Amino acid sequence: MHAAQIWLVQNILAHSPVKAVMHSAWGWPIAESLHFIGLTLLVGTIGAFDLRLLGIGRRIPIAAMHRFIPWGIAGFAINVCTGLMFLLTEPDQYIYNSSFHMKVVFLAIAGLNASAFYVTSYRKVCGSSICFEAPRRAKAIAAISLCAWIGVITCGRLLTFFRPAPCVGTQAAIVLACQP
Amino acid sequence: MSFLAWLESTTLSQWIVGSLWAFPVILTFHAIGMGVAAGLSAMLDLRILGVGRGIPFPELRRFVPVLWAGFWVNAVSGVLLLIGYPTKALTNPVFYLKLSLIAGGMVLLLRLTRRLFADGGGELVAPPTSPAIRRLAIVSLVCWAGAIVAGRLLAYTYSHLTATDY
Repeated sequence: MHAAQIWLVQNILAHSPVKAVMHSAWGWPIAESLHFIGLTLLVGTIGAFDLRLLGIGRRIPIAAMHRFIPWGIAGFAINVCTGLMFLLTEPDQYIYNSSFHMKVVFLAIAGLNASAFYVTSYRKVCGSSICFEAPRRAKAIAAISLCAWIGVITCGRLLTFFRPAPCVGTQAAIVLACQP
Repeated sequence: MSFLAWLESTTLSQWIVGSLWAFPVILTFHAIGMGVAAGLSAMLDLRILGVGRGIPFPELRRFVPVLWAGFWVNAVSGVLLLIGYPTKALTNPVFYLKLSLIAGGMVLLLRLTRRLFADGGGELVAPPTSPAIRRLAIVSLVCWAGAIVAGRLLAYTYSHLTATDY
């Protein structure tokens, strides 16, 4: 794992296609601004859908509320692009950063959880008949989704304060969380 | 001693700046509140502009209290950030631009919700859109995006960090 991380950082540093743009005067601030706009779009639409599943706005057909989801996916796409631009510019600040590792874990939880929704509940709540009450499983998925996205935002915010320090001595951890 | 220097000398300000966790935790709350307040405002604007046909528009008023909760989280966390670095914010024109854009977004939200949720709406499925209302929704989206950009740029555009270098 450590070797893979070091290899990744070295290769990104050597071949980053976006470094010049991101190191220009406006590159990083503009990418950050877009990252926050994408976050807002995602929370406002996917978060609202989760709240609807949990029972807010009971007279809204769940299928109609689902129309907002493509806008949340658009916000997520903006954030994947801008997030990759950060990562491809300063890889050592992310690849060895515990807070970034946690953010990726929360992203994975959010992704698996969303897949679970489409596999188990989408047809029940958004299918042919108009549905107003989500089954308990869909409510649990909605609650996990809200928690996972709050986790993503929290770790994303904290990773800018937590910077990996140089490694001292031998590192026993599975994932390298210091600058080799 | 100037007001800014006095504010920075208070124990609250020094705790926000000096404590390991205070500033990052307050900023985290500020980011989550931003997502909730600006995000749900944008969701209402998108509905006015035609996204989510089939949502009985008046029912979206149930989300407004959540939006306000996000707003108050950010009002409180924003004031705490301001107490931490008052000179940094108050000597930066971009900070006043950010506050103006937030004020614009909230005034538009009040106008739109008062107008569109006024009579409970009955079984009204579509929001009563007119070109004027659609324009307000677009201006609202621009205000929120502008407030977010201005907020982010605060980290790059300040000229004085504390009262001592002012």
